[in-house]
Amino acid sequence: MKKMIVVLLMCIFLISGCNEERFTKIDSHQPFVASVNILDPSLSFFDNEGKEIAVWDFDVAYTGAALIQHDHVLMYGHDLTEAHLYSLSTGKREAVIKCGAGTTNAYYDEQTERFFLTNSKKNTVTSYNLQAAKISEQKLYNYPMSMASNAGLLYVLNYKDTILSVLDIETLQVVDEWEIPKSSHGIAILADQHAVWIGGHGQGNRPNDTIDVYNLETGKKQKEISMPLMPVGISTKEQEVAVISHGKSTLYVAAADGEVLWSQKIGANPFATTYFEKWIIIAGYDDQTIYFVDEQGIAKKAKTKKGPFQLLAREDTR
Amino acid sequence: MRTFSGKIWALIVGFLLITITFMYVFTDFLYEQLYVEDTEKSMIEFGERLATKYKGGAVSDELIAEIEEHNNYGVFNVIAVRNPRELSACVPFDIDYQTLIGPDERSQLLDGNPVMKIGYEERFERQIISVILPFTDENRLEGILYLYYPLAKISELASKEVVLLIAGVVLFSIMIGYLVFRGLRRIMSPLRELQGAVHRMSTGDYRARVAVSSKDEVGQLSEAFNQMAEAIQQEDEERKAFLATVSHELRTPISYVKGYSESIQNGFMEGEQRDEAIGLIAREANRMERLTNELLQLVHIDTDKADEMYPIALAETLRDSVALIKAKAVEKEIGILLKVDEDIIIEADEEKIRQIFINLLENAIRYSNKGTSISLTSMIEEQSAIIQVKDKGIGIPKEDLPRILERFYRVNKARSRADGGSGLGLSIVDQLVKQHQGTLHIDSELEIGTTVTVRLPLMEE
Repeated sequence: MKKMIVVLLMCIFLISGCNEERFTKIDSHQPFVASVNILDPSLSFFDNEGKEIAVWDFDVAYTGAALIQHDHVLMYGHDLTEAHLYSLSTGKREAVIKCGAGTTNAYYDEQTERFFLTNSKKNTVTSYNLQAAKISEQKLYNYPMSMASNAGLLYVLNYKDTILSVLDIETLQVVDEWEIPKSSHGIAILADQHAVWIGGHGQGNRPNDTIDVYNLETGKKQKEISMPLMPVGISTKEQEVAVISHGKSTLYVAAADGEVLWSQKIGANPFATTYFEKWIIIAGYDDQTIYFVDEQGIAKKAKTKKGPFQLLAREDTR
Repeated sequence: MRTFSGKIWALIVGFLLITITFMYVFTDFLYEQLYVEDTEKSMIEFGERLATKYKGGAVSDELIAEIEEHNNYGVFNVIAVRNPRELSACVPFDIDYQTLIGPDERSQLLDGNPVMKIGYEERFERQIISVILPFTDENRLEGILYLYYPLAKISELASKEVVLLIAGVVLFSIMIGYLVFRGLRRIMSPLRELQGAVHRMSTGDYRARVAVSSKDEVGQLSEAFNQMAEAIQQEDEERKAFLATVSHELRTPISYVKGYSESIQNGFMEGEQRDEAIGLIAREANRMERLTNELLQLVHIDTDKADEMYPIALAETLRDSVALIKAKAVEKEIGILLKVDEDIIIEADEEKIRQIFINLLENAIRYSNKGTSISLTSMIEEQSAIIQVKDKGIGIPKEDLPRILERFYRVNKARSRADGGSGLGLSIVDQLVKQHQGTLHIDSELEIGTTVTVRLPLMEE
């Protein structure tokens, strides 16, 4: 009987221990770039020297993440019915969002302090406030995924459709719909240029090799910038755009007007790029490596866990 | 399927079908194992040689052209692919497109290992054996070398002729089934014949025999049957003959008794003649009594096989026998010389032993001439008691000696039954001696005399 009680207590302890799962704390003043690894579900945190700060190993199959404000990270998975909000400074899970299976992407809008989840099963986009409470939801086209926001509007690419949906960010009412190619992925808005850059994989066995630039107001395609093959990761900083083409493992750095300034072959099958302090960071999906790059080339590289698919960057905002 | 041959037929045909099925499966297995393995090996060898053309960097049009040039000469089909869409490069994304290689194969290739596949490939719309080798440059999968070879499965090879194949198998099976049926019929025919013969025997036809055409088990069985039938038939004939003899033996005294008694009853005989007839009737009645007694005795010997045996002093029994027969010898003026070994002890039924010697002495007296002598001697020889009854009588002709022990056999068939012999005496002796594990031997010379030698085992110490 005594033994049973001990075992029972141990079980309770273990269960409560699981609930109280706590990861390595990330100092709130610590700038980092983190790779979201999807084959070994985990987050690998690195400082600006390429040194690994922490690794958060998950036992659920997260497929993506988004930074929410300064201290939170939202983790979601395409096959998971919940998304989870973690505090970086405490390493603890703070909220559970019952979003249902099929989440394809999460996007945080600083202006409205809301985050958005797209869902491929329901073909919807849903907005939440910082308390993880649902605000509104809008049905879109087949497989909504990539998102960007500007001036009170939310732009959503329907991945398996030929439509870009422009929504009112507050009400999620559809304001406009643009025609885009199928399998579009990766969007960046260059407001000063009145331009929206859209990347993609291409259709069927024909890979896409351009970034299409659309007029921000009219939605008309203005030009195509050749960045072979399959440019899907776009990141902007000031008047510069970094585009990663995973088909040829090439990073293109272009001026805001679309002129390619320089390019370089980096990593193996990279999907993600982001600006981080003075670097452009590239995550090689097949070689499990993140690269710290500048115009001179690769400055540093660091190994991640298997399948780095997204990058999250937090700079020092003191 | 209730007959024995039906069962054997089903067994053989069943095994045959199992064998055909097994051979088909086994051949298919061997084909896959050996043929496919061999093909894979040469594909890898060929692919590895071809892969040396790739020197790193992007896969160029020239390289693709150069590799695909080999399709004109080589045994295997080979393609070089650099399209990352085909190489599952977009795999974290949901792709509604059938890529040439899957994500698992991609990761295997990224590790630098070749991929081997066997199975249906939608792209080529057929079963193929394929070997994929990676073109990697700094961990980057720049392209692949895809070699494939149509895998003509045996079933596929035969698919066009599948009707022919099935028809062949069915025809072959029917043919084999028929041949086995015929063969079995042939093998089983002696058994069927035997069965018929046994049936005939059971209905009383003892002449039933089977033709022995082989020396196998069935042949041996047939031969054994024939021997058995022979024995049964002989026994049956003997039984019939015995019955006929018994009836015949009884009929004569009965007709005497009947004739004389009717004559007396009707008053045809008077005085002395009548007395004589009554004497005759009494004599014949005595004969009948003796005959039936002896028959009963014979039956007894046949049925009570093992009577209780005790150790007896043979000399004593022999003296008893002589004493019992003495009167008859005196009547015929015949002397009996007794010379016995007093130490002989045998295990026997005393009554029966006495019967043996009474019968032998009676015979000796019956066939001896007046005034002669009979000797009865006993001695020990080679762990046996030897008893001899020797007379100087009329003797037995040589040709009759072998049959002298048969029931109702008489040397002189015409001789009047007045001399008393029923023809059963020696038969009884023979049976009794056999019952005591002994032997009987008769030596005789016509007009000189007869010597009967009985050999009985001594009692074991």
